[in-house]
Amino acid sequence: MIKVQFYSLIRLLLKQEKFELPASDKENVGQFLQRLQQQISTPFLHKLLDRKGELILGTIIMINRRNIHHLDKLETPVVCGDVIALFPPGAGG
Amino acid sequence: MSATERYSRQILHWGEERQQQLEAATILIAGVGGLGAAVAELLVRAGIGKLYLVDDGIIDWPDLNRQLLYSETDIGLTKLEVAKQKLQQINSNVVVELLPQRIDATFHCPSDVSIIADCLDNYTSRFHLEAGLADESFLIHGGIEGDQGQILTLKKGQSHPLADIFAGAQQPAGDIPVSGPGATIISGYMANELLNIILGKPQLLNRFMIVGLSDLHLDFLDV
Repeated sequence: MIKVQFYSLIRLLLKQEKFELPASDKENVGQFLQRLQQQISTPFLHKLLDRKGELILGTIIMINRRNIHHLDKLETPVVCGDVIALFPPGAGG
Repeated sequence: MSATERYSRQILHWGEERQQQLEAATILIAGVGGLGAAVAELLVRAGIGKLYLVDDGIIDWPDLNRQLLYSETDIGLTKLEVAKQKLQQINSNVVVELLPQRIDATFHCPSDVSIIADCLDNYTSRFHLEAGLADESFLIHGGIEGDQGQILTLKKGQSHPLADIFAGAQQPAGDIPVSGPGATIISGYMANELLNIILGKPQLLNRFMIVGLSDLHLDFLDV
């Protein structure tokens, strides 16, 4: 299974803390998130991706505690046992 | 009035030894706004030894809903000068040093500081702050926006850099929504974690605590 954890505004939007899906062969995080959205009744990808499917700024996406900006972004492979975190942080002080 | 009398209620809570550690500690607070003003006041009331305050702001009306050190009569004055005056009215034993500057690429942390509170309001300054710290320094990050806030402790040179962790975060256009109660809640958590660090027992090292301010939930995210 791949576990996805939702934080702050994403959690409020989806009204749930986490979701789990079985891993799929040769899938990257972008493909995984598309598949995840199909399983969840509330659309959320518009918060993460633009119309071309490119990553938009605003939400930190981590796989196993590593920001995907420092991996292969949406092309980062995901495998069984991975933990994905979606976290839009607060910017003010 | 003795120090024992002044701090008697908290010494009942954490003991004389912890109080002495607190009185020997130095902390730098970067940004003396919604988070920083409250963090500074809590540390001064607790009897911190020395505070450095870094800011270049002028007090304005939109600050007054949450920046607890400032009042109507302070409008147009520099935050640092007013903060120092108010803090020393609260506790004249605390040494308050002012660094009136915007945190940019020229920033270097004073050499007698190893615990730094990021109470800033933008990512660019946060990343410059981190870059200006010596290795082994503790950096406590706080952030707030609308119904959410977060606190995170990092140890420079050992933790993932703040700039790496926050890659993909975006500075919102325009003013950031912040309430007084929300800023005070996050400030309270930050001050508590700063006390934990002084004791050598940080609770949020490499771990976000994410606070839902509307539904009052807490989440944790390891980084």
